[in-house]
Amino acid sequence: MLARALQSSSASLPAMIKLNQGLNMKLTLIFILTGALVCRAEEPAAGRWEGKLHIPERELQLIVDLAQDNGGTWKGSIIIPGLNVKGAALADIMAKGSDLSCTVKGFLSPQSSGPAKLDGHLTGHSTLAGNFLEGGNSAPFSLQKTGPAQVEDAPRSSPLSKELEGEWRGEYEALGYKRQVTLKLASHADTGGTADFVIVGKRVNNLPVDLVTLEGRFLTVDSHETGLSYEGRLRNGELAGVVIQNGTEIPLNLHRAK
Amino acid sequence: MFRGDAAHTGLCAGTAPREFHRIKWKFPTGNRIVSSPVWSDKILYFGGDDGNVYAVDAETGRQIWKRATGGPVPATPAVADGTVYIGSYDGKFYALDAHTGELKWKFRTEGERRFEAKGIHGFQPKTQTIADPFDVFLSSPVVAQGAVYFGSGDGNLYAVDTVTGEERWKFKTGDVVHSSPAFADGVLFIGSWDSYFYAVDATTGKEKWRFHGGEDPLVHNQVGFQSSPAVANGVVYTGCRDSNLYAIDAATGKEKWRFNNELSWVITSPAVAQGKVYFATSDSSLYHVLDAATGKSILHQKDKAYMFSSPTVAGDVVLIGVLNGSLVARDAKTGNTLWEYQTELSKENRGWVLNADRTFNGPFVFLSNWREDPIVSADRQFAVGAIFSTPLVVNRIVYFGSTDGFMYALE
Repeated sequence: MLARALQSSSASLPAMIKLNQGLNMKLTLIFILTGALVCRAEEPAAGRWEGKLHIPERELQLIVDLAQDNGGTWKGSIIIPGLNVKGAALADIMAKGSDLSCTVKGFLSPQSSGPAKLDGHLTGHSTLAGNFLEGGNSAPFSLQKTGPAQVEDAPRSSPLSKELEGEWRGEYEALGYKRQVTLKLASHADTGGTADFVIVGKRVNNLPVDLVTLEGRFLTVDSHETGLSYEGRLRNGELAGVVIQNGTEIPLNLHRAK
Repeated sequence: MFRGDAAHTGLCAGTAPREFHRIKWKFPTGNRIVSSPVWSDKILYFGGDDGNVYAVDAETGRQIWKRATGGPVPATPAVADGTVYIGSYDGKFYALDAHTGELKWKFRTEGERRFEAKGIHGFQPKTQTIADPFDVFLSSPVVAQGAVYFGSGDGNLYAVDTVTGEERWKFKTGDVVHSSPAFADGVLFIGSWDSYFYAVDATTGKEKWRFHGGEDPLVHNQVGFQSSPAVANGVVYTGCRDSNLYAIDAATGKEKWRFNNELSWVITSPAVAQGKVYFATSDSSLYHVLDAATGKSILHQKDKAYMFSSPTVAGDVVLIGVLNGSLVARDAKTGNTLWEYQTELSKENRGWVLNADRTFNGPFVFLSNWREDPIVSADRQFAVGAIFSTPLVVNRIVYFGSTDGFMYALE
């Protein structure tokens, strides 16, 4: 969701400039800069926030980065060193007056209870405190503003070549079961590569793909939510590669669907 | 002995309470308790991961004696003819006076160890051999024909004379044996982590037959018999890490039926009573009751977390421990929960190991599959007062141990 918001906002900037072709470019720039300054002045939530998350018998370091783009859309990321969470994107960021809430995207999301959530309240410009909710549990956090935001942008999918687009099929065996794989690749001007990734074993698994990258001839399809990836190289009209789960690699060659 | 009798049926004489009233007593030890208690002449015997073997007054919860060994004791003792038999991680097997705890003899095996493999469960680096943190039990002995029989991490099934402590024979398998042997009609039944389940003549130590379970050369996750078998009416029932519960003909070793649990381990040792098999699973956290003759499902109930503890049938109640720190009492007929007891550590939920609904909180438990993280993760998981121990019911009192270090008596 955040990636889409960023993409739409970056696409809107040239559109805005086009609409304002008749205006003086200097004036436009002043307008944008002033807007940004006004926003920053009005939104004390923006910045880098550092402090502690106080879960029972365990204190975790917590770092939250929050910023607004030129269009006023919030973006953010979170770091929890004790949980291997580094730069996870924040979503559903709501800042109203001194109240702030957001969810953690892709990480810390037990299936039973949905994404982790921060519910906070700003005191002045330098203190953000509230509750961290995860897995049905709730614990207080307290943060201090330490400087400007250093939001980590979510990685973006790259455009795919024509020879990769389309439907690919293959089969692999793991833990005694055969799995049929279908990978439908497409390339879009705005969002880059996308993939429908379906693995059929004992049941049909439609894997939520959040990242498709092509580096040279090396294709990677990631489903971070499920921890499953496919890596392959295009060779002689075939994708030769591996499916990876929990660090275990199983060969999987994909052929064009007929 | 473990599971109540030599055949390991998991039956307790008498009935368990259908309602929880109170904690009768709690007995503290110095470390986790994985061992299951056994009862003999009003005394409870069990091992502790603090390295001690304990004898505790079953009525008052007062210590009668403790005997130090050289390592953790996550095994369940057998008590016969005034002697307590139990193995320790120090690689030795002990015979202790049941009244005083004095050493009668000790037998040295070739050494204990955990099941281990490169890339086990997908742990990384995959080229490094890593011990399996879920290999939590040691083999518990069975006593018959003047010998005590037990498995060992050295891959052997041992027969040791109960009086002299001398080895009668040893039977070599291909890997760690932490399953506990069941005995019926002069035959021992036991599984190994080498993927085979064995029937061995108790007198000679010669193999009668072997049964091949699943293999998993990729990540060694779906392989090995960690569950201990039960024998009833000429059929051996055993769980396996290959996710099956097997029913095997005790005379021939031929499979009668299997019940598959879709990649979920069956670590629990099945209980067999009144034509039904009771068992539970790990990852899928399901409590199952099957028809013992056909393997068809009679009922199943979803629990909150993994179950390694084995079900105990006491009258119309089935009791089982859960790794989230709960002991669950179920109606034997319907499978419905009658009552639950939650350990204090489970309630405290340090480090948010549990979600509010008491399922495991993945992101806070499993950091990564690299280096020590899986070991630390398992340790965290076990730190909520997990109940590996199999409950015992005597005189309507329920006894079990927890990783919070306490032996409990509930009524």
